[in-house]
Amino acid sequence: MHGQTWPSVATTQASVLASDWRIFTIAGLAVAVLVWGLILFAMARWGRARRTDALPPQFRRNNALEITWTAIPLVIVCALFVYTYHAEADVEALATHPDVRVHVNAYRWGWTFAYTGGPTIDGTAADPPQMLLPLGRTTRIELTTSDVTHAFWVPDFLFKRDAIPGIVNRFDLAPDKVGTFLGRCTQFCGLQHAHMTFTVRVVPPDAFDRWVHGGAS
Amino acid sequence: MSAAAAVVEPPRNDLLSWITTTDHKRIGILYMLTTLGYFAVAGALALVIRTQLARPENSVVGPHEFAQLFTLHGTAMIFLFIAPFAIGLANFLIPLQIGAPDMAFPRLNAMGYWMFLFGGLIVFAGAGTSEGAAAAGWTSYAPLSEIKVSSGIGQDLWIVGVFLVSVATILTAINFVTTAFIYRAPGMTMWRLPIFTWEMIATSLLIFMAFPALAADLLLLFVDRHLGGHAFDPAYGGNAVLWQHLFWFFGHPEVYVMILPYFGVISEIIPVFSRKPIFGYTGLVLAAFAIAGLSMGVWAHHMFTTGAVNNPFFSFMSFLIAVPTGVKFFNWIATMWRGQLTFPTPMLFCMGFLMNFLLGGVTGVMVASPPVDFQAHDSYFVVAHFHYTLGGGSLFAIFAALFFWWPKIFGVKLGETLGKWCFWLLFIGFNVTFLPMHFLGIEGMARRVSTYPALGNLPILNLIATLGSYVMLAGAVVFAVDVIASTLKREPVGDDPWGANSLEWATSSPPPEHNFERLPPIRSERPVFDLRHPELDPEAGR
Amino acid sequence: MKTGVTLFISSAVFSIVIAVAYWLIAHEPVGTFLLGFMAFALSFVAGYMIVAERDADLVGDEKEAAPDDAAGEVLGTYSIHSPLPFWAGLALAVICLGLVVAPTLAALGTIAMLAVGALFVVQSR
Repeated sequence: MHGQTWPSVATTQASVLASDWRIFTIAGLAVAVLVWGLILFAMARWGRARRTDALPPQFRRNNALEITWTAIPLVIVCALFVYTYHAEADVEALATHPDVRVHVNAYRWGWTFAYTGGPTIDGTAADPPQMLLPLGRTTRIELTTSDVTHAFWVPDFLFKRDAIPGIVNRFDLAPDKVGTFLGRCTQFCGLQHAHMTFTVRVVPPDAFDRWVHGGAS
Repeated sequence: MSAAAAVVEPPRNDLLSWITTTDHKRIGILYMLTTLGYFAVAGALALVIRTQLARPENSVVGPHEFAQLFTLHGTAMIFLFIAPFAIGLANFLIPLQIGAPDMAFPRLNAMGYWMFLFGGLIVFAGAGTSEGAAAAGWTSYAPLSEIKVSSGIGQDLWIVGVFLVSVATILTAINFVTTAFIYRAPGMTMWRLPIFTWEMIATSLLIFMAFPALAADLLLLFVDRHLGGHAFDPAYGGNAVLWQHLFWFFGHPEVYVMILPYFGVISEIIPVFSRKPIFGYTGLVLAAFAIAGLSMGVWAHHMFTTGAVNNPFFSFMSFLIAVPTGVKFFNWIATMWRGQLTFPTPMLFCMGFLMNFLLGGVTGVMVASPPVDFQAHDSYFVVAHFHYTLGGGSLFAIFAALFFWWPKIFGVKLGETLGKWCFWLLFIGFNVTFLPMHFLGIEGMARRVSTYPALGNLPILNLIATLGSYVMLAGAVVFAVDVIASTLKREPVGDDPWGANSLEWATSSPPPEHNFERLPPIRSERPVFDLRHPELDPEAGR
Repeated sequence: MKTGVTLFISSAVFSIVIAVAYWLIAHEPVGTFLLGFMAFALSFVAGYMIVAERDADLVGDEKEAAPDDAAGEVLGTYSIHSPLPFWAGLALAVICLGLVVAPTLAALGTIAMLAVGALFVVQSR
């Protein structure tokens, strides 16, 4: 089973999310290394200067420099925003005709997965439920809760969404890797929050079809 | 300008004089010592949390105790330490920095302190009740915090305690702005104010705009719990997301309330130990207000996974905040550039602040991207992010402030050797604790979990984090030893032991009750420096 | 004082722009109300300050002022001690505690707070 290790990026949406992570990590690390470098350089270069009576040059401002280091970051964050806007739209896009629909209800402390035209799976902390999904098909998740706010997170899909009373959150999952992936609640919901887990098992579509129409596990 | 031999009686030092004081310096000391006490308690709670999480499926505490631990840890660190320490420091410093004898409303000032003290005690009193203290997190989300689910009186004590602290904060902010606007000494124009005072003005504006939303949220929750309200219950036409909107409309500005004063601290200390003026004074002031203004418009970046808010709006606004923050960083580095740097303990903590907060800021920009946040939200990645900004940032600035202003406040210097030990233990301990948490989050560990499975890298990363937290404990203990040792040694200091810049260094250490015997002329933001260097033009290069 | 006025006017304008932008982009009522109320409050303060600034004559605003410019005759001696803040803080805490634990306590706290308020008025005369 995959879980609690480096995410396996197991849906098409997750691939978009992983690219977004990579861009932001690279940009972030680049900025961090640059600025750390400047700080450490200044400390090393002028930190061993002997303290003489003469003061160092007492400069206070440099308009060109200040404008530059305001404008360049502004351009960078605008570019990052355009990228992230499209990435999010991509991930949250809902297919017109999903192949599978699962209504997910989160509760204290377990999950119910009700497949439209299929079985209903329920499980709690003692015996976490398993959601079966077909490889290469689009599954629509309709997520809500019957009590407090919870959240549906599958780290290997790089995705989570809140389960909020009175609201049905809809999102699509299109798995592109077979395997069993750990899922859990992430919005603190009380005593058994730490154990409110589930698994998602991605199988080839024919195996899924056999299962959903009543029969083999 | 040392105090002339004026015939004044030494200030009374009995308990009653401290309980009835309206002197901003004493109120500041009361705040800072009380917040350090809450820090010790909140830190102890964190050590229990880390001990529980050192190994998978551990049983040091059960889930209900664990929930109280992280609720009180967050509540105490945020409401009872980081923010009010800054308020205490500002209380001590603002009148001195602007050349005033006290705050505009001294009795209101004192009342705010007592409200703060009692509010915090009320919150903690919940721990002594049969169902325990509040256990819904410092964010106390409804519906979890409603009476049906959180039936204990501890939750109610949390609500009223936090409410009391919130009102106290608003009243104190009124004092800060009024004092800074009205009570400046001759020549202390707004554009000659020390950066710390400017940051406190911006912080006060944030307090005015943000805390009422929290007060409203708490009121609604109380009415829901006890007076038949259903504000957050969709079955009665309420809205569960409403709690989050109101809370984060307060909650995001609150984190800027917890960092802007410390940007001010850094801006005061770096110039002193670079022997240069602060670079880009105007830019720093404008950036402070840009950050404050923008911070009012980003709150729902805490709600990216709800599906109930316009993610792009909040994502864009959150990205924008990185720009003025970057401006500040570049100004600080430029202040050091070509200077004559020395690294006594206050400066070490400033360098630690810069290194740590930078990483926190970078991960902040990362989680401002909703696709990243879909993984990071409510995971240990975001726990790492906010500890790097609040712990690596604000906490390090608090220690910088303590070591820098301790001589002015108490008239004795803290020991340098112990100070350096304190810094390195905290710096190493802090990074060993929180760096692994980025990976824990990415690899699927949620926050607020009392335990986790023995899978993957979770056990080893958690163990490393726990060991780091014990190193931090050592650093805190060293600080306590330093305080005790220096108090026993009682080596007195003069007005200006560091060779500093702003007006508080123009009077004795500690200052007399009325603050100044005589004010120097004020022609720049560093009047004490100008006094030491009459050969230089104070207004050169402005 | 001009800086203070500018600060509040800029804040008010900024908040109006953000409130309008938020409504147009998000159409979300809670946030719009909060931002709108903030804009109203800042505009109110800005308006007051514009009026107040006309009469402002602060020695702290004069760039060339010398320390002695603020010196004046001794107006009186003021105590830097007062028991009222402690009692007020305690009374408010008792009210809050009473709301949770027992309404009688809240009533007692309210009476105590009113007493402190009365003493404050007397002390300020």
